[in-house]
Amino acid sequence: MNNRYAIKFSKDGYVKYTSHLDLLRMFKRAFKKTGLALKYSQGFNPHPKMGFAQPLSLGYSSRCELIEFETQMPHTTGEILEKMRGEMPEGIKLLSCFELAEEIKSLAADADAAEYKIWIPTDLDEEKLQDAMKSYLEKQEITALKRQKKTKKMEPVNIRHMIRKLEISKVGQFAMIKALLDCGSKSNCSPELVISSFCQHSGIDTPRYDMEVERINLFFVNKLQY
Amino acid sequence: MDLKLKLDQLLKRVEKPGRYIGGEVNSAVKNPEDVEANFAFAFPDLYEIGMSYLGLQILYNVLNRKENIYCQRVFAPAADMEDLMRQENVPLMTLETKTPLKDMDFVGFTLQYEMSYTTVLNMLDLAQIPLYSKERGDEYPIIAAGGPCAYNPEPLADFIDIFVIGDGEKALPDLVEKYIECKKAGMGKADFLKEACKMEGVYVPSFYEPEYSEDGTINKLCKLYDGAPDTVLRAIIPDIESVEFPVNPLIPMVEAVHDRAVVETFRGCTRGCRFCQAGMIYRPVRERSKETVLKLAKSQLANTGHDELSLLSLSTSDYSCFEELATELIDYTKKENVSLSLPSLRIDKFAFDVLNKIQEYKKSGLTYAPEAGTQRLRDVINKGVNDDDIFNSIEQALILGWKHIKLYFMIGLPTETYEDLDGIADIAKRIIDLNYKINGPKGGRFNVTVSVSNFVPKADTPFQWEAQNTALEFEEKHNYLAQKLRIKGVTFNYHDNTTSAYEAVFARGDRRTGRLLYEAHKAGAKLDGWTEHFRPDAWEKAFAKSGIDRDFYTTRKRSFDEVLPWDVIDCGVSKRYLINEAKKAHDEKTTHDCRLGCTGCGMNRHIKCAMDGILKKDSVQERSQRDE
Repeated sequence: MNNRYAIKFSKDGYVKYTSHLDLLRMFKRAFKKTGLALKYSQGFNPHPKMGFAQPLSLGYSSRCELIEFETQMPHTTGEILEKMRGEMPEGIKLLSCFELAEEIKSLAADADAAEYKIWIPTDLDEEKLQDAMKSYLEKQEITALKRQKKTKKMEPVNIRHMIRKLEISKVGQFAMIKALLDCGSKSNCSPELVISSFCQHSGIDTPRYDMEVERINLFFVNKLQY
Repeated sequence: MDLKLKLDQLLKRVEKPGRYIGGEVNSAVKNPEDVEANFAFAFPDLYEIGMSYLGLQILYNVLNRKENIYCQRVFAPAADMEDLMRQENVPLMTLETKTPLKDMDFVGFTLQYEMSYTTVLNMLDLAQIPLYSKERGDEYPIIAAGGPCAYNPEPLADFIDIFVIGDGEKALPDLVEKYIECKKAGMGKADFLKEACKMEGVYVPSFYEPEYSEDGTINKLCKLYDGAPDTVLRAIIPDIESVEFPVNPLIPMVEAVHDRAVVETFRGCTRGCRFCQAGMIYRPVRERSKETVLKLAKSQLANTGHDELSLLSLSTSDYSCFEELATELIDYTKKENVSLSLPSLRIDKFAFDVLNKIQEYKKSGLTYAPEAGTQRLRDVINKGVNDDDIFNSIEQALILGWKHIKLYFMIGLPTETYEDLDGIADIAKRIIDLNYKINGPKGGRFNVTVSVSNFVPKADTPFQWEAQNTALEFEEKHNYLAQKLRIKGVTFNYHDNTTSAYEAVFARGDRRTGRLLYEAHKAGAKLDGWTEHFRPDAWEKAFAKSGIDRDFYTTRKRSFDEVLPWDVIDCGVSKRYLINEAKKAHDEKTTHDCRLGCTGCGMNRHIKCAMDGILKKDSVQERSQRDE
């Protein structure tokens, strides 16, 4: 028993406009309220041992978010779920709770890939979309503009090697892209880069705010999934 | 297109969209169709500010406890959101159910500071509701307002249908119930207002019309409806122990300015500082029992998971069982890993012990408000502290290891001279010297911040007749102080002069200043309390267009027999007392704390004062014995 757990939850509806940090504060408060005492880090400014496996961009919904944490005392996963469920705001649904195996250092460190569904309203038909995706993926280099952390400037980067799989189909008025992308501390590709470069490539001029993105899967090293 | 879908698009394009979504833990979930009245609580500022306001939590709770009423919230959108709403024609909506404000029964604004008035108008405009009440038919919601600024309601009188003055816990739900009753009886807005104006604390401005003299002052206030009262006495709750206090407060999703559990220990203040509006309009002091405060604090913490607790009142350590309460709370919060914050402490020996205990590790900073630089001026404003109080406290603080002292002063107070400004610099200098004395010739890392704000005369205070300094006078005083405070280790901050003049215009403005407000709004003024949004150009334009003479409202001294725009509101304290206090101020005579014996403010005509003379004779002896 190492008192390390993770909760899997979904984020849907208006609450998708809650930022990563605000959500973290919400969980911290929920733990405090339920009396599930978290272990605190040592040091000058102690903070609870708790964090998301992978941050989710503001505005994305998700059915596979993971929060990992360490408690002071052992609890059953059932107890944790039951207590925490009462404390969630509208739109956050707790799906499951499990113990973290000893050999896993942390979910955040082990995150490897993520799968998204991207919905883009467009007039293009299925055939045109398929063609566009084919030629997009055949490119040796796919350049997307990415804001650099330090300089805050937009710089072109090649994202081709971070794209593991892309599928497109027409569902109603939407082009629906299923994207499997690198995700984690080693290599990370934001769906935003795929969206902007693919739209440019295929001539789709739908404004970004008409699109929806949902994270549907998170994959970890050694092909683990939770 | 569906409004909610449109809103969703907007949310993807703005900063901090979490401010507009609602759905927070403890927010009220009801079906607007199933209730008899839908009330929108409107805070004329951003979410982060409004959600920190305890009054919102209190009234949201009292209204929503009623099954037949649904209270929802709305805040002012930030500039980016507002631009998009105007561009996409999306009206201002409530957070809870995304209902456009114009479809509500009531929209109630809280007026916390004068500089939010343009935001009130801007929110109405964004809600696509006509600004002037006379332009709103029965199809529009009743626009109400309350809060401390409503004690001079006149600048907003042409825009607001109903003001609710005083304690809102009972007056507000009663008013909404009355509305439901009238609606059921098939009455329209005009008839409802006639019913409402008879209720406690309710002022319906459209039933009155001021008549002006040639010199611009008010000759008299004419009544347009005979059934309206001559003066409106504020709503007073005799016993706050018995009113509902929220134990399940809303928890903001986006971090608010104050994100913590809060318990109001008492309302009112016995000190009688002559510049302080809150010290007059919340009289008399009404306390919650220590047991209730503890119970409320514990259940709020348990229900929210907050890791900070704060007590709220006008003067925390004046609470009659403060020592016992503080001791118990310190123990409790330590055990629960919650940090305790005690604002507005009068620093005496016990307060120090308390502060020392709660700030054991981090002595962040000690704030002290002498308000004026000399004893003479402190007597004029009846501040009730002397040099010994100040320096003994500060010395104690330095010995205990505080490294940062923050001092608050006001300038432009009645009778102020440059000697009083010198006094401010002297205090700062003496503290720096004190630090050298205690912490050695190098003094260590030590800093004194002197913050100076401009005095704004407020309605219902003994200084309500006084002249405000001109912008030039303020500027000269700031420059003088900046020179004088060029002392190593002293930082000097001061407030903007333009905003204090505007604040002063509305603090004592009559109904004609509404025109200025309207023009300022038309010229694009909003969120004026934010330096980055404040637009002096818009205001200059508005002054020119409205023809309002700012000096008439700011720098003009009134005579005691002038009819004041807010005379129609009876704040409970008598005018005779205010005049008497004003005279004593000019005689540099102090008035004692009313716990040492009644000072005759007139409140006991309406309600029994529980604090009247409690520190007299026996009780005072007991206290001094214990202190020894």
